Amino acid sequence: MSRNPDWHLLSTLVVAAACSGAACKGKKSSPAQEAPEPPAAPISALEVKAVNADLSVPDPAAPYWKDAARGQVALLAQPMVTPRPEVTTTDHIVVAAVHNASHISFRLSWPDSERSEAGRLGEFSDAAAIQFPVGDVTKTPPMMGGPELPVHIFHWRAQYQRDQEKGKPEMNQLYPNMSVDMYPMEFKEAPSGTAAQQEDFSPGKAEGNPQSYQKGGVDEIIAEGFSTSAVQAGHSGAGKGEWVNGRWTLVITRPLTIEGGSSLAVGQETGVAFAVWQGGKAEVGSRKSVMMSWLPTKVL
Amino acid sequence: MPKVKNWHLGREIEYSYDDHRPAKQWAIVFDLNKCIACQTCTLACKTTWTSGKGQEYMFWNNVETKPWGGYPLAWDLRILEKLGRQEWGANGEYLGKTLIEAAPANERVLHYAPTDEDWMYPNIGEDDCGGGTVDGGGHMGELPHDKWFFYLPRTCAHCTYPACLAACPRKAIYKREEDGIVLIDQSRCKGYGECVRACPYKKSMYNPYTRVSEKCIGCYPAVEQGIQPQCVVNCIGKIRVMGFISPPAQARRDNPIDYLVHEKGLALPYYPQLGLEPNIYYIPPIHADRDYLHQMFGPRVDDAIAAYQALPEDPRASGLLCLIGSTDRIIHRFDVKGGSAVGFDDKGAELVRVPVTEKIIERAAFDARIGAIRNNTP
Repeated sequence: MSRNPDWHLLSTLVVAAACSGAACKGKKSSPAQEAPEPPAAPISALEVKAVNADLSVPDPAAPYWKDAARGQVALLAQPMVTPRPEVTTTDHIVVAAVHNASHISFRLSWPDSERSEAGRLGEFSDAAAIQFPVGDVTKTPPMMGGPELPVHIFHWRAQYQRDQEKGKPEMNQLYPNMSVDMYPMEFKEAPSGTAAQQEDFSPGKAEGNPQSYQKGGVDEIIAEGFSTSAVQAGHSGAGKGEWVNGRWTLVITRPLTIEGGSSLAVGQETGVAFAVWQGGKAEVGSRKSVMMSWLPTKVL
Repeated sequence: MPKVKNWHLGREIEYSYDDHRPAKQWAIVFDLNKCIACQTCTLACKTTWTSGKGQEYMFWNNVETKPWGGYPLAWDLRILEKLGRQEWGANGEYLGKTLIEAAPANERVLHYAPTDEDWMYPNIGEDDCGGGTVDGGGHMGELPHDKWFFYLPRTCAHCTYPACLAACPRKAIYKREEDGIVLIDQSRCKGYGECVRACPYKKSMYNPYTRVSEKCIGCYPAVEQGIQPQCVVNCIGKIRVMGFISPPAQARRDNPIDYLVHEKGLALPYYPQLGLEPNIYYIPPIHADRDYLHQMFGPRVDDAIAAYQALPEDPRASGLLCLIGSTDRIIHRFDVKGGSAVGFDDKGAELVRVPVTEKIIERAAFDARIGAIRNNTP
């Protein structure tokens, strides 16, 4: 039987070459030696001191971090629901936090031998999240909350930060060697569709899935138990990560008070919890390292 | 873990959720003896559903050459290797483990994750023969010859127990009550890729532009209007028919799918041992290597081939096969009588009537009316 002609018709629609070599492998860096982070003692509670600085913009290199108390918090491969990581990839993070009566900033630092920003199939992003109880911390389960016991999560991804800094990548950036004749409603010679009509050919966008649009560094999420997390509109949080020599240093900042979400107050104690994903180890979703309980946190 | 009834395997299996069959179950039957890999189904699907950004290599429907072809690369070999050798019992019941039963403790489904490169060659292995070596050329000097291949058209099987649905930690995948079509909620998926890993047939696909996963939607907008999917109605070889399949106990003799699958045993699920109760059924190719077919279709393949070879003596089954491809509408009921096969819709209205045996008309070679010689060139 001869090769059928229809297949070649298709090749006029989409002619693409396999991407080979390291040049199109994206942003993965080769493993590097872990940068020395000054040792930090394990802590069982976090004290958040006041600083006189603008905290609305996250800044991992700001001078106020030098005086902030730092502590080490243990993480464990997420043990509650499948799929779970086989091993713990991030067994600790170093944490510090400051506030200025209007905003609170958390500085997280953890070793990760390769920088991963995702993009192509099978690539996953380095990420971290801070979780707050919406209500009473003593009743709220520390792992994703529970029914009518919501948690408020600030989820930073290296991928989202890349979006923020360089724009959401187009297909020809993700696959530089791919050649495409045309997309529906985007003909080179005769552009014929509105942006909304073009989006109809991208189901995630057409359905308004936040995942399909350019991100701002940090997603705000409300969850009431496993499988329930939902991205919220309106970003009052911000994040900035720096990967240097095999170590991420990330600052996530947020207003102390968020209507309809979680709130912290000067003089009061609550709890926070952290999670870390190593994209290079294919961690995503429930494949992550987490804390097993809330870290008592007092805003001084 | 809940136990559910899997009639493909003749036993209960473990599944992540309780047993609940939909009111109706979407299903397609393919006659592999007729497929010529023209890829018209592939193109019909592609131009209808996956022409957008991030879908450049996405083929919800594909046709691959067996044994060597596969999209993504070697999907079948890799999951079978992972599962390892398993056994069927003498009475056709499955003695081995399914993918969910064989899953490691930290996973929901035994799986492998295809790489980007695995999806890049959708038609690799086309027309490559199996069976022995091809020293000195693959000529076929005697019959039956030892060289063989066949074409395998594939869509999502809208499984009764989908691995993709079981694997999704966000519960973003659901199975529709009205027709059993399995969908990924495009507003809820977050692109973790768990379904891409978990589906052994590799019919969940990641869209790097929208950053969420997508899959065959069974052409549900058409099905809701009583019309068969694009890949079915565009099949020029008329090798496939879509309808609704019943569990064996509720099978109706006048339901085309039930008749082919349950009554005649002509059409079989592929890789049923994976345990998902897939709802695309194949009339196996009669000329391909029997061991290979046993692996792909299970122990009932010999009976299915015998039934197919006996079709000339079976006017009802032959008539039904004539109905395939004769209408765009979904045939809910059929009848064969008086030399005609008739298809009816869900309200009993006649959709189509075709002769079981086409009338042969012989004409003289010379047409005196116009003074020309007739020939058969279309």
